[in-house]
Amino acid sequence: MSDEDKATDKPAAMSRRRALTVTSAVGLCGAGGVAGLSNLLFFQPRVTYGEPSRFRIGRPETFPMGTRLPLSRQRVTIVRVEAGMAAISNTCTHLGCVIATTEIGFDCPCHGSRFDADGGVLGGPAPRPLPWFALALSPAGEVEVDTATEVPQGTFLKV
Amino acid sequence: MALLRDLIDLPKNVWNSVFRNPLPSSDLGRSQTTFQNLFLHIHPVKTHVNTLRPGYTLGLGAISMSLFIILCVTGGLLMFYYVPSVEQAHNRMLDLAGTVAFGTLLRNMHRWSAHGMVALVFLHLCRVFYTGSYKPPREFNWIVGVVLFLLTLVASFTGYLLPWDQLAFWAITVGTAIAGYAPVLGEHMRFLLLGDRVVGQEALIRFYVLHVAVLPTVMIVLLGVHFWRIRKDGGLSRPEGSDVPEAQTAAAREGKLEGLAPAAKTAKVKTFGVMGLVRGPFTKVGNAPDNTVYAWPHLFVSELFCFALTVVAILVVSLMFHAPLEAPADPTHPPNPSKAPWYFLGLQEMVSYSAFWGGIGIPTIFVILLLLLPYIDRDNRGVGVWFSRHRLLALTLFTTLLVVNLVLIVIGTWFRGPNWALVTPW
Repeated sequence: MSDEDKATDKPAAMSRRRALTVTSAVGLCGAGGVAGLSNLLFFQPRVTYGEPSRFRIGRPETFPMGTRLPLSRQRVTIVRVEAGMAAISNTCTHLGCVIATTEIGFDCPCHGSRFDADGGVLGGPAPRPLPWFALALSPAGEVEVDTATEVPQGTFLKV
Repeated sequence: MALLRDLIDLPKNVWNSVFRNPLPSSDLGRSQTTFQNLFLHIHPVKTHVNTLRPGYTLGLGAISMSLFIILCVTGGLLMFYYVPSVEQAHNRMLDLAGTVAFGTLLRNMHRWSAHGMVALVFLHLCRVFYTGSYKPPREFNWIVGVVLFLLTLVASFTGYLLPWDQLAFWAITVGTAIAGYAPVLGEHMRFLLLGDRVVGQEALIRFYVLHVAVLPTVMIVLLGVHFWRIRKDGGLSRPEGSDVPEAQTAAAREGKLEGLAPAAKTAKVKTFGVMGLVRGPFTKVGNAPDNTVYAWPHLFVSELFCFALTVVAILVVSLMFHAPLEAPADPTHPPNPSKAPWYFLGLQEMVSYSAFWGGIGIPTIFVILLLLLPYIDRDNRGVGVWFSRHRLLALTLFTTLLVVNLVLIVIGTWFRGPNWALVTPW
């Protein structure tokens, strides 16, 4: 038995060629991974060009008691009751269709989900109630809706 | 004088430098014509007779490819007039009809070919299933085929948005909302796909780039792999024992191989190098008699026939029926009911019961089953025959799923009215 053969009995000492191959492979895979990740970031816009998530709807006095006003472009329904004001989403929680206002609440034309006046699910495939959005009074006294912030059902802005 | 002769011979010499072979009149010529032409040499020099039997393949693969060619040509032409902007897209559709010569015809052809391709690729998949052609050694080509089918659906779906009419806008709104139900990454995927939280300009440009650049490129590469693998896997599947000419099998059956006609016994297949005489997974060159004929002219004529037939059919349909175009997209007023393209209506019907299971769960399980099928069902009996008795279980399961999907599509198409309520179509 030569020394070389004995060497192979020991826990595999890596040959220079193999070490270089493994290092290169790791380097290439790493570079590929980084390239893939940067592409993923590239496809994720940091700003969007659609409707802004915060917008003002005017002074509270312009909404008489009992108002249920759907704003179709911003996809919210503005509600004014004794307790105050609220903004309920107009987007069906099932598959994102715009829901229609009915006498008792909302109906979705796409897959038949039905909601009550507070956005609770009455029937159909909708998995959750309609979200309510945060309202605030701007310094100028206008009501500001923030569709990026959800609030619990029944949260009214006192006006 | 030499110069004059060269000038006289110029056209002939140019022609001969491009096409090295005259129209073939010998077997050697037929081989070389196929072998030495870039566009023909994706075919084998010789093709098994079973491959050419219309009753076996029904020409479904060739028709699918023909539709893909029509789609590339008409789509490329439509790109000269289309602008992927929410302000202009719908007007450009109207302009196609009003101000562009043959604009309506081209759009009709593109639309009907797209629907046709979804149907034909699926029928092709069914043919491959019912003849057991996905079994070893063709497992990987089945996977390539399933991926091509999915890409066909995605290509059709991305193209659906481009006219920017009500149909397009709400079908894509519903379709991408389904993606949002995927666990963990769902909302993220949806945002990446749309480039925004709702369908708008960002979604339009993303779908456009996917539709006209990314998907066709990927599909052309995969089609190349698909065709190349057919040859490397030994040609199209065929029944066991069909590689031997009829006379010889008959003789063998009667146990009198000795009395075989001299022609059958000694028939030597002339081979000209190893140029593509591939009959099995390996290159075999020898004098074994087989059931093959030269690709020129047999295979090429059948392909040309399929292509011509497809073009005629699409032209007739496009002259008779106009591609639908509804009112411009209005993000504030969904039509009632909002329906996805017909091939997704089975999906939409399931989604109306449960968005996660109907839109994500069941389709994912179905696709995984399709992809794993050749590795689960490895029994090699019944390959190359329609509806083999040896595959009763597989045939029953597949047919059941097929019928269920068809029934769901029929319900979604004709039996669903406003608010997705059940209605009768009559």
